[in-house]
Amino acid sequence: MKTKQDFPSINERPPEGLKGDGSNIRVLVVDDSMFVAKQLGQILTSEGYEIIATAADGAEGVEKYKELSPNVDIVTMDITMPKLDGISALEQIMAFDKNARVVMVSALGKEDLVKKSLLLGAKNYIVKPLDRKKVLERILSAIK
Amino acid sequence: MRVEYINPFVETAYSVLAEVLKGDVRRGDLYLKSTSTPVMGVAALVGLAGDVEGRVLFDMSLETAMKIASTMNNEELKEFDDLAKATITELANIITAQAVTKLQDLGFRFDVTPPALFTGEKMEISNHDVEALIVPMITEQGKIEVNVAIREKA
Repeated sequence: MKTKQDFPSINERPPEGLKGDGSNIRVLVVDDSMFVAKQLGQILTSEGYEIIATAADGAEGVEKYKELSPNVDIVTMDITMPKLDGISALEQIMAFDKNARVVMVSALGKEDLVKKSLLLGAKNYIVKPLDRKKVLERILSAIK
Repeated sequence: MRVEYINPFVETAYSVLAEVLKGDVRRGDLYLKSTSTPVMGVAALVGLAGDVEGRVLFDMSLETAMKIASTMNNEELKEFDDLAKATITELANIITAQAVTKLQDLGFRFDVTPPALFTGEKMEISNHDVEALIVPMITEQGKIEVNVAIREKA
């Protein structure tokens, strides 16, 4: 016997992390903080997003984006990171793929860097400490 | 040391701790130390360099650090592992970034280093030629001391 769970109501909104075809939106998380990467992963996977990969610095982030492209739908990019900072990584990703969707993640107080990243092509930004609602809103607005 | 240097750190520590720990935070009495200061067990240190120079230390016991990291991760962490260390480092990072913005709005220009985390017993920190202002912040997870030693560059 089919249950309600098997046939969700057509009026229910799909989870935000699903594309129009029902498949997951794939996210590359670039952050040198294990804590922030974990938080972002928990928030996004709970809404149906798929964390396709994580990177601990900008250089690894660029490398993984190129390796996984075109299977990355959106990138979350920390600004202050070792080896290659988030702004430089954003520039390299945008040079590789002008349609890349990158959302910057920054502590409050880096407004100049956030503005610079938006001029370089970032689609949105998230301010730490992470607020679940704001993270989801900003990721969603970057996807649309 | 001018008191206006410490106020942004205290105000920001108060608001960030209340937000991430989702509990009551009380501010203890400010005190001054001109000699070596004992470090409680876990200390996140941020360096400042520019118009002003010095450092800010977020100092707490290992037990408090474990409780804070557990609260921020929504799970009970069993040891002070890489995740717990990353959590305390991130907390210091968030507080410092917001405080520095307030100081820069007051006209001070300087850069900050990424936080460095120190753990161990019987540690102490000494400040050459500059007093440290210390403000204890009392949270439900334990006490965190915001320890600021800054001077204007000669």
